[in-house]
Amino acid sequence: MLRQIFIVAAINFRSLRQRLWRSMVIVVGMACVIGVLLSMLSLTEGMLAAYIKTGDPGRALVVSAGAQSEGTSSIARDNARLIMDAPGIAKAPDGSPMADPGINSGIPVIRLNGRPAYNNLRGFGRMGVMLRPEFHLVSGRMFRPGTRELVVGVAAKAEFKGMNVGDKVILPDGEWPIVGSFSTGDLLDGQLIGDTETVMKAIRRPAYNSVLARLDSPASFAEFKRALTSNPALAVDPILQSDWYKKISEGFSTFFKVIAYGIGIIMGVGALFGCLNTMYAAVAARGREIATLRAIGYGAFPVAVSVILEATALSVAGAGLGAGIAWMLYDGALGAFGSNVFKLTVSPALIGLAVLWAVAVALLGGILPSIRAARRPVVEALRAT
Amino acid sequence: MKYLPLIWAAILRKPTRAILTLLSVMVAFTLFGLMIGLNATFDSVAEKARADRIFTWPRFGGDGVPLAVARQVAAIPGVKAVTAMNFLPGYVRDPKNQVFVLMTDQNVAKVFGDYGVAAEQWNAVWKDRTGIVMSQFQAERWHKKVGDTFTMISKQVKRADGKTSWDFKVLAVIEDMPQISNGFIFGNYDYIDKAKPLADQGKVNEVDLLADDPATSSAVAERIDHAFANSATPMQTITEKLSRSGSDFGGLDIKKITGGIALAGMFMVLFLTGNGIAESVRERFAEFATLKAIGFTDRSVTAMVVLEAALPCVIGAALGVGIAAFLARQIPGLMPAGFGLPLPTMSPMVMLWAGACAFAVALLSAALPVLWLRRMDIATALSGRG
Repeated sequence: MLRQIFIVAAINFRSLRQRLWRSMVIVVGMACVIGVLLSMLSLTEGMLAAYIKTGDPGRALVVSAGAQSEGTSSIARDNARLIMDAPGIAKAPDGSPMADPGINSGIPVIRLNGRPAYNNLRGFGRMGVMLRPEFHLVSGRMFRPGTRELVVGVAAKAEFKGMNVGDKVILPDGEWPIVGSFSTGDLLDGQLIGDTETVMKAIRRPAYNSVLARLDSPASFAEFKRALTSNPALAVDPILQSDWYKKISEGFSTFFKVIAYGIGIIMGVGALFGCLNTMYAAVAARGREIATLRAIGYGAFPVAVSVILEATALSVAGAGLGAGIAWMLYDGALGAFGSNVFKLTVSPALIGLAVLWAVAVALLGGILPSIRAARRPVVEALRAT
Repeated sequence: MKYLPLIWAAILRKPTRAILTLLSVMVAFTLFGLMIGLNATFDSVAEKARADRIFTWPRFGGDGVPLAVARQVAAIPGVKAVTAMNFLPGYVRDPKNQVFVLMTDQNVAKVFGDYGVAAEQWNAVWKDRTGIVMSQFQAERWHKKVGDTFTMISKQVKRADGKTSWDFKVLAVIEDMPQISNGFIFGNYDYIDKAKPLADQGKVNEVDLLADDPATSSAVAERIDHAFANSATPMQTITEKLSRSGSDFGGLDIKKITGGIALAGMFMVLFLTGNGIAESVRERFAEFATLKAIGFTDRSVTAMVVLEAALPCVIGAALGVGIAAFLARQIPGLMPAGFGLPLPTMSPMVMLWAGACAFAVALLSAALPVLWLRRMDIATALSGRG
């Protein structure tokens, strides 16, 4: 049986050249579907990857109870002190807790396309850098604590105006120079960082937004959490930083996925009709050949399978083409949504999805023609011209 | 028209092919309708934006600026009317169900008169502090009707009594504004203000205003930014026109994306119909030779091929745009709430574009077969050696 399938499929593929243009309908159709689908998903995938990368399971973030974003969270100064004294936090060489109360404010900027937008201005305190081993300066120097200076992430200039070392950022009470640029390889690469206390004074914030702490060990989070949630003086939500970024990425990723899959399905249905069309025509064109095979003893099943195999091969080839185009255009390119700047990604998982999509279309589009091919009475097919 | 039976016969020669081609064209135009329809919505939102309305809010966030800012804004030359509002953000039952209420002062009708809240509805809100006016979208989302109680939780706004829940009474449900895709809820500023601890009272999150003259509104906006630039409360000011213009969605250029998708769909269909018509002509080469032999001109043969290609394109386009219009109405139910991407509208412009594209696809796919037919040697074709 397998041998028969193999032989029929081989004959089939060898005759593909005669049906080249008609077969290209499937290839081109699928390339369009997958090109569009993966281009859109590269945005979601890239943004999700950046979010996931930003969250470190070795760090805990503390926000005020119920806060859905760092911006809407508020931690009073004396509460921040209580949080930093909680058990479970790793200690710096000098014995102080590796925790940093931070500030996170939107500041108005202009996109390169001229539209008004907000970028994130973060405050780093004394422990800001020590907490984040991923942080390193790329050019210029670090801001000096107590001074009205900023450093900028390396990706910010890809989306916003005036984000180069030497540029000035307008804040209340004057302009702050950007004295250096840094890279963390995550979402912070699109943001601005200054000294927490100085930024707070400038934007007149009495309270911090959140506290970030490095945990002693992954196991000590439970202890840390218990200490904070059982303290009646605090109304805060401690959460692993990795879980926090997972949580806040849920909303937009569902949103974008619904849109991308929706469009992918609509286009896929269009390609499916094209596939059906092509395969019916292919079966008709091969009518005599199929009948001959059947007459000399080949089964109906291998014939049917060969039709589906042909559809699958063409469809997967098209998907590969589409994925290649999406990959060339977008993989690694910088994209932005809201105040986030990140690298678009056409990941192996997405390419796997593309193949799956292609196989689904080929199966649905190949099955009816394959049945027709297998069922056609041999004598009638041999007689037909 | 007299060729119609001939074209019809040609199409019906392979009914499966005809139907499948029609279906793919239809699907591609469904996508086209949704994409270009979304652009149309952006255009209409930009067009409907009031040139004289201006929004201003604290430039660097925080929990509001003193109410006095509204009075200072009102005193700026060129400003006709000013309303101050406080946002009440929160959720209903589960933090996933985000909602917010615009708690406005009594001048709101002067600035947002076009929102369709009647004077007596406003008066009811001013009489009952807990009263709200909901737009249809929000009323349906929370299953509320006039007279119902609407309860939300807000962890962000601190109340003097320590509670986190806010009870409202739905006093009116009004029609949505097409440009506000997520609807809106208006409440009474006094309710939120007096519920806060004394130290937090008297603050506003946003001041909205009308300029005397739409032509000067961007100058007025600049004046406001300038007036507060060096104060304790720097403001960020933008005209409604500017904030609603363009097709920017969080930095994504929607028109570029939708255009690309629509184009990919069209390319797919072009390849498909092009192949179909080429095949159909190739199969009937001898027939066309006969037609030419009995005196059909090149022009009439061309017309027949183009029409044969155009028929599924035009019918498919019409059906597709129709389906798009239907789907557009189902989208709100499919999307996670609170995202506010406008819905596609099938404006006459969209239909015009769809029609134009359908004809372009038909012409392009017929081009090559027409060329063959014009160049064919009738004798060779008739002898079956073509």
